[in-house]
Amino acid sequence: MNEVWFMENIFERVEVLVLKNRSLSFWLFVTPTLLALGLVVFVPFIYGFIFSFTDWNGLRATQFLGMEHYINLFQDREFLNSIWFTIKFAVVSIILVNVIGLGLALLVTQKMKSSNILRTVFFMPNLIGGLILGFIWQFIFISAFDSVGSLLGIEWLQGWLSTTGTGFWGLVILNTWQYGGYIMIIYIAYLEGVPGELIEAAEIDGANPFQRFWNVTFPLIAPAFTISLFLTLSNAFKLYDQNLALTGGGPYNSTQMVAMDIYNTAFSDYNMAYAQAKAVIFFILVAAVALTQVYYNKKREVDL
Amino acid sequence: MRNKSFLSKIFIMFVLSGILIVAGCSSNDGGDSGATSDQTVVDVFQFKVEFKDQFENLVAQYQEENPDIKINVQTVGGGNDYAASLKSSFAAGNEPDIFNVGGPTEVEEYREYLTDLSDTGAAEAALEGTLSGVTDGDEILGLPYSQEGYGYIYNKEIFNQAGINAEELTTYEALEEAFATLDSQKEELGLDAVIALPAKELWVMGNHLANTYIASDFNDDILEAYEAGTIPFSKSDELQRMLDLQNEYSVQPVLSLDYSQQVEQLFSTGKVALIQQGNWIYPTVEQMDADFAENGIGMIPIPVDGLEGHLPVGVPQYWVVNSNADDATQQAAKDFLDWMYTSDAGKELVLNEFKFIPAYEGYDTEQISDPLSQDVYKHASEGNTIGWVFMASPVGWQEDSLAVGMQRYLSGDITWEQVIEQSRADWENSRK
Repeated sequence: MNEVWFMENIFERVEVLVLKNRSLSFWLFVTPTLLALGLVVFVPFIYGFIFSFTDWNGLRATQFLGMEHYINLFQDREFLNSIWFTIKFAVVSIILVNVIGLGLALLVTQKMKSSNILRTVFFMPNLIGGLILGFIWQFIFISAFDSVGSLLGIEWLQGWLSTTGTGFWGLVILNTWQYGGYIMIIYIAYLEGVPGELIEAAEIDGANPFQRFWNVTFPLIAPAFTISLFLTLSNAFKLYDQNLALTGGGPYNSTQMVAMDIYNTAFSDYNMAYAQAKAVIFFILVAAVALTQVYYNKKREVDL
Repeated sequence: MRNKSFLSKIFIMFVLSGILIVAGCSSNDGGDSGATSDQTVVDVFQFKVEFKDQFENLVAQYQEENPDIKINVQTVGGGNDYAASLKSSFAAGNEPDIFNVGGPTEVEEYREYLTDLSDTGAAEAALEGTLSGVTDGDEILGLPYSQEGYGYIYNKEIFNQAGINAEELTTYEALEEAFATLDSQKEELGLDAVIALPAKELWVMGNHLANTYIASDFNDDILEAYEAGTIPFSKSDELQRMLDLQNEYSVQPVLSLDYSQQVEQLFSTGKVALIQQGNWIYPTVEQMDADFAENGIGMIPIPVDGLEGHLPVGVPQYWVVNSNADDATQQAAKDFLDWMYTSDAGKELVLNEFKFIPAYEGYDTEQISDPLSQDVYKHASEGNTIGWVFMASPVGWQEDSLAVGMQRYLSGDITWEQVIEQSRADWENSRK
């Protein structure tokens, strides 16, 4: 739950860091982390940015190419395809993960005997590594689906992952299954924080269950949306291991997401600098989407 | 006052950073795993996971005989991961003394780090043609691991039952007829299909199948392919014909069929009669069914018009020595490689423990243990081979251009002419 805490507090922290004069002990504690972060995140990032303007091949850079890589990027069909595929995937899976996560959360916060067990069960997929999950689901899609399909004569269950469409939905299903439970935990935390007397008051005023949810609970758990949307968004964009294990980008690289395209450019085509340029564009894209999203949700939280 | 506290902050920051850095460095001691000062240390960075244990045994034996040499072995598996880790260890200045390269493309990339190995005994003993990918003028920059070959690996029992003699399938027409025969008897033979075409694996189509039909464009010569500005595709019709044949008689859908399904689930269990693979599948089949592996399988060439009975044989990987290492280390590295491939003890291990098809002279080839390797060796020693020119195509071309095009063709997305056109354009583009 670290990420949740982090997201919730990051804005306040940044404000504090920038605006207030801090004591010696503050710097004492913050310096080692800041330094470590700088060395492993900021410095490589800046290096990468610089390399994207050269012909760096991983070992040496001999000339400065300026914007050449960036110009080529926008004519690279493969890269544009992978961006488009990733965006489609992100939109669909963000909606599904959040709807299902919220649905599960509502389910397990009802007064049921089995709710604790259910919470554990729903959260469980998240504890399995992405690669393993990918291979398990590959088996389900290819073998299990096919057996059921040929047994019952259902055609659309056969030949999964061999077309772009089934590859896409395979990835969406896998991702939703894995993250639904994680997002559920976040919603549960906020749902349990909704004061009972407000619901009760609404009930006395004659609000039906849907009105109670839509007009009372929903606005009160708005911060949960900010966090969940941010998490699912960045997760959907950066997905790599599930992609690699489930479809490997196939057929014909049509289910290849941006992260995988970048990796392949760098490590199977040895085009390091070009891959860096792709990574920079990818970074800008993800950062822009994520920040806009957080900004609007924060604003909306206040409005509500 | 304000200034003073600011300075003290800075001071503390530096002290802390200093502590961090010192702490970070001190844990680096003993990284060379206990080498004593009078030992020469050779760091080996190699990629073949399958023989990691056997290789470490060989190293242990060598160290016993040569107590003044200390060899550290690091193994990182599988094509892409190896290339990536090798590159990052070079970038980090943590260069290995012995490492692996795949062919001319990687030789060029690491050219300045490669030592001339022509003075080693192993280079002299290397079989003709096995060094062509790593020769630069008079210099020999790498030593071959082994030889490997691929073709159609068939299930002897099923072929017998269907009354087909595999040795006679030297032409496309004969093969097509055999496929039809097998297909008509699927029920009796207990087959899901005649063949399993793992179209998901780009390398099976783009590297191996395609190579069979493009090698003659470059006279089977790796270096010629490496320098070629374009690719003629003079046998593209034959390639299309063979791909169509495999697809027609394969377990469907081919586009999600992978290597492990092909070899383990389908071939080892007798659900398909034959597959297009190489001698490297032997250990896998052996694990599934030792008896079947030993007695039940054989390899025949993929039929090519005019090249009947020729099997594609090549060197999968080369050993190279880092020229940045100091002279003593370089010499120790060369001695070690020589010992591995030319001493009696080394040969014994290479043949019986590594189960390699030797790429060097002076081996007792009677001892090659598995039937697939024997088939490959037989073709290699008779000179009935097709070169592995795919080792010299532009980086990534075989898989990302040709094989992806073939996948599109199989899914009905584009025509065969478009596959050829696009692949040729990609080749020309990267050789400009």
